[in-house]
Amino acid sequence: MTALLEVSGLAKAFSGVHAVDGVSFAIEAGTITGLIGPNGSGKSTMIDCISGFLQSDAGSVRLSGTDISALAPQEIAHFGLVRTFQSVRAYDHFSLLDNLLVVAAPFAEVTWLDAFLRSPKYRAVRRRVEERARDLIAFVGLAGHIEAPAAILSYGQKKLLALAAALMSRPKLIVLDEPVAGVNPSRINGIADILRRANADGTSFLIVEHNVDFISSLCDHVIVFDQGRKLAEGPPQEIHRDPRVLDAYLGIGESTPARLPVMS
Amino acid sequence: MKRLALGAGIAALAALPLVTASNYLIGITISGLLYTVAAAALNLVYGYAGLLSFAQLAFWGIGGYGAALTVMSLGGSFWSGLIVAGLVPAILGIVIGLPTLRTKRHAFVIVTLTFSLLTDLVVRNWVDLTHGPLGIPGLPVPTLLGFDFGTPARFYYIVLGFTALALAFLYVFGTSRIGHILKAIKQNEVLAQSQGIAPLPYKLAAFVIGAAVTGIAGGVFVFYLKIVDPTILDFYYMQTFLIVVIIGGAGSFWGVVGVGLVMVALPEALRFSDDLRMVIYGAILVVAMLAMPQGIAGWFEQRRVSALRAALK
Repeated sequence: MTALLEVSGLAKAFSGVHAVDGVSFAIEAGTITGLIGPNGSGKSTMIDCISGFLQSDAGSVRLSGTDISALAPQEIAHFGLVRTFQSVRAYDHFSLLDNLLVVAAPFAEVTWLDAFLRSPKYRAVRRRVEERARDLIAFVGLAGHIEAPAAILSYGQKKLLALAAALMSRPKLIVLDEPVAGVNPSRINGIADILRRANADGTSFLIVEHNVDFISSLCDHVIVFDQGRKLAEGPPQEIHRDPRVLDAYLGIGESTPARLPVMS
Repeated sequence: MKRLALGAGIAALAALPLVTASNYLIGITISGLLYTVAAAALNLVYGYAGLLSFAQLAFWGIGGYGAALTVMSLGGSFWSGLIVAGLVPAILGIVIGLPTLRTKRHAFVIVTLTFSLLTDLVVRNWVDLTHGPLGIPGLPVPTLLGFDFGTPARFYYIVLGFTALALAFLYVFGTSRIGHILKAIKQNEVLAQSQGIAPLPYKLAAFVIGAAVTGIAGGVFVFYLKIVDPTILDFYYMQTFLIVVIIGGAGSFWGVVGVGLVMVALPEALRFSDDLRMVIYGAILVVAMLAMPQGIAGWFEQRRVSALRAALK
């Protein structure tokens, strides 16, 4: 059986600096995978390459067996891989509902003429999509603000809005770039709970995070990055004890403890 | 409330030639309506799609020349002239838009500005076609089924009909899902891409529709003037369209249309002091921009957001 996401030999350099240096890994359908590593270890470059926002120099990315490495971000989204952003992005001038109604995939069968003329077909699709958007806004706990502009939301609430928007198109895989960084600690358990429930409904996740507790409690599988390479991977319990990981993070593994801790 | 205001506005405009015999008053209303249409078209391009296009001036002028030449050189009717006035800018919009809409926003600004300057140069120097600085005078009176629109009051109804059609089209387009996505792309293009939206077709559609509508408005305008010459490419027009969009609030249909009609009347209303007229006009613009940098519509939205934020605390 092919894996949901298969990354092989992926490499990306910026003027000679190897940000991602020949990385391979696979994500099985239905799982939550964590991607951790010190700052500058290539995690963000990795997911920019996977989601099409950066063109990789070498290697391939396959989603359910289809090579998506040469596609544009919007095409990759249609194939069922959706991402969120580290510095949270939302349409500040739109209401929460209108934020979710931008997502293209649910309107795939609607032509421009349908949309311009508000044809019966468009209106039927729009009713369905709006219903789903309302459900998802309630699902992430923002129903009280549904008609308010996104500008009034807090940072953490915008991350929830971004999650709801990512779920709109029923993607196979959602890549979350630091979903709890900068979020009020009291909300973190709530976010973990929402991700678990979405996962139970069949969405797989790849989560980039610095919050190791969050990753350990949530993920089936953890991949550790250091200096553009994959350092280790396995279940969270094993990763915790891996001396190479401890070394990369804290400089207290088996090699010399010369490096400074670089965990943020 | 909105409907009532809209109905009253349309009724007042439709009754204008019945209550005044002043060709001067009808004349400035004709210019005002056509500038408002061109501003609403620029609003689609700049206010919705976030593309600061200076090519609107070229489209306005090319529309004017296109309509005039169709009638004077090809022997077509005024109405076929208007089709050419829309079609030629639309095609040019595709030709310019396809390569430049992929570039960064400031590159787009420079290319469109250059296009307008080049258009002016061509119009002045391609004497065989455009008669150069002399222009093409004596544009005939439009007729329809034997009825001629020879008086300003009669021509006014052509302008009013075109304005209503053009604004209705822009409104329906702007409030559709396509307009919604244009506004999303303007706010956050990267986010829109991550949500499966290819920005280029949407931007191109806005640019091409804006070009066609502006071109037809320019075509109607030169037949009101009865002459087209290179002054149709005067930067005054571009500046007027831009001021209306910025003061009305980029991205707000009603803000731009409302301000369009008021702004054109304003310099005329200030005629009580001929020396200071343009000085006062300028002062009003400066004060408006200082008090409402996002335009009138933006000012209202900001107040709404502030009120909602305050309610959360």
